[in-house]
Amino acid sequence: MDLGAAPMGAGDYAELLEFDMDMDGFASNWAYCDRVSTYFARMISHNRSDSLLYSNLFSSALNELLETVYRLHAPSGRFACSVARKGASERVTLTVPVDAQTAEFYRSAVKVLNEGDVASRYHSALFTDGPLQPNIGLLELAVDYAARFSIEPTDANAIRLIADLKLEESDT
Amino acid sequence: MIADTLVQTYKVSFDDNNQEFALSGSMRPERGAEMEACIRLLETSIASIRGTFYINVKRLVRLNNVAFHALAGALLKAADERPDVKISIITSSVIGWSTKKFGTLTAKNPRIVVEEYDSEFYPGQSFLEEGGFVPVLRTQTKLTWKHERSLLPRHGLTPGVTMADICCGIGDFAVLVAKEFAPSRIVALDHSKSSLAYARQVASEFDIGGIEYIYGDAAEMLLEDGQFDFVSCRHALQIFNKPEMIVNELVRICKPGGRVYVSNEKISQCLGEPRGPSIQWTYEQLSKLFADFDMDLEFGPKSYQALQKAGLEDIRIESFMVTNRDGDAQAFADMVMAWEEMFAGGMCEKRGDDAAFVEKFRRGFEDHIAAALHPGGYAGWPVWVASGRKPL
Ligand SMILES: C[S@@+](CC[C@H](N)C(=O)[O-])C[C@H]1O[C@@H](n2cnc3c(N)ncnc32)[C@H](O)[C@@H]1O
Repeated sequence: MDLGAAPMGAGDYAELLEFDMDMDGFASNWAYCDRVSTYFARMISHNRSDSLLYSNLFSSALNELLETVYRLHAPSGRFACSVARKGASERVTLTVPVDAQTAEFYRSAVKVLNEGDVASRYHSALFTDGPLQPNIGLLELAVDYAARFSIEPTDANAIRLIADLKLEESDT
Repeated sequence: MIADTLVQTYKVSFDDNNQEFALSGSMRPERGAEMEACIRLLETSIASIRGTFYINVKRLVRLNNVAFHALAGALLKAADERPDVKISIITSSVIGWSTKKFGTLTAKNPRIVVEEYDSEFYPGQSFLEEGGFVPVLRTQTKLTWKHERSLLPRHGLTPGVTMADICCGIGDFAVLVAKEFAPSRIVALDHSKSSLAYARQVASEFDIGGIEYIYGDAAEMLLEDGQFDFVSCRHALQIFNKPEMIVNELVRICKPGGRVYVSNEKISQCLGEPRGPSIQWTYEQLSKLFADFDMDLEFGPKSYQALQKAGLEDIRIESFMVTNRDGDAQAFADMVMAWEEMFAGGMCEKRGDDAAFVEKFRRGFEDHIAAALHPGGYAGWPVWVASGRKPL
């Protein structure tokens, strides 16, 4: 696993941290979702005005994204996760290897998220019996963390899922 | 790098005295089935109570949707089956996400209510500058009290005395002393308005009357001379660049024949195993970091002479080691985690440290946390207490 801070920009976002690893490596251990999200949260939160609180929220949000990827991806390829910052916003970019089926999942999930009425979708998903819907984490981010999602194809075998998060009111 | 050694776990317990079911730590299971034992305990607990069932999630730091889904299902089912029971979920604003998340249950069943226990304490909520300090002081005092309560009588704290706690912070020490030693009067003074507001709230919540919380400057107190039998000042001389000014003030307000009691650290002596050298390096650096801000976190062993110079007699000094083996390893780990955030976060940035330093600096804290939670680990934080009598 590579972890490093790269200074390359994404528009006017400044990149803070990036890691990438083989998808099958990442998907071999559920605990990676928790560890990676917690590590990222600690590393990027120290200069937020309430660092402990920020780190808690960021870890929760990123963990749901990683859990989603953990469950839905093509078996092989490179998985990358990076975090960039612009003022109070954090941009999480996930490059996920996909096949036709998982690509379709992400595309339709993002479409739903941008359609509105996500709160009621999220709440009914949370309280239905049986296994959770696979898009539950994305719904939660949109509702509880006001995340805005977009999706870009990279090549035939991967998509880039972008989540913009604003976890604190203003930048201090 | 990602610490493999960091134990990720959660605790579930039920206290039938308080009808309180408590969840703490990190709950991020892969499958709902992993929650089975927890759900079963929840169900048997609810079955055993009458009236209000409390669910304490104040220290539940992380919870994924898989875990929430399982908990929510069990709670809604229980609320349906027991219309005689009210379910009260106690969250903490410090956690950030929990009030909102558990709040969704109220919409499904109004007999499930969510209370944020500390929301009133933080008028500016989480972004209050000093707010981050509160949990640290809380945990520190909880951990030191285990040792201090038994040694305080040797330093002059006996039932019925009049006492002052100077630089009282959030006032936990005053509350503990009030419960254990029933002094006839307690004055608690600090220079942080928000800490005092917090302290007042805590005292009223626990129905501890009679503590007078005073906003003031320890170097120039408005209190009169010679009023108190016992004057304490804990973990504070070490953060002043002129501690002797404070000591003189402590002596001034002390009655002749009364005692001044101080506690301080020598932070470079924090220790732990495994990974002793990394831990040692970080705490040596921490001591230097404070020194760069004119604070002497090595003050502990110097307190003997400080009391002597202030003219006190019959000076007594001793030390104790707060450790992960005192009974609450998680609290020890939480304390170190909070130190890491404050020191490697805020303070290093102010000093302008580079990323490589901060990373290595953080590693020692991480290793200290790992030592505290390691099944065979040992982690310690030494504290020195000293007291002296004011001549008649
Ligand atoms: C490290 S804390 C210790 C608090 C408490 N005694 C404890 O052990 O938890 C130091 C305290 O000193 C207080 N303080 C700082 N400068 C002060 C001053 N000039 N007068 C009174 N209190 C002051 C701070 O607000 C803080 O609560």
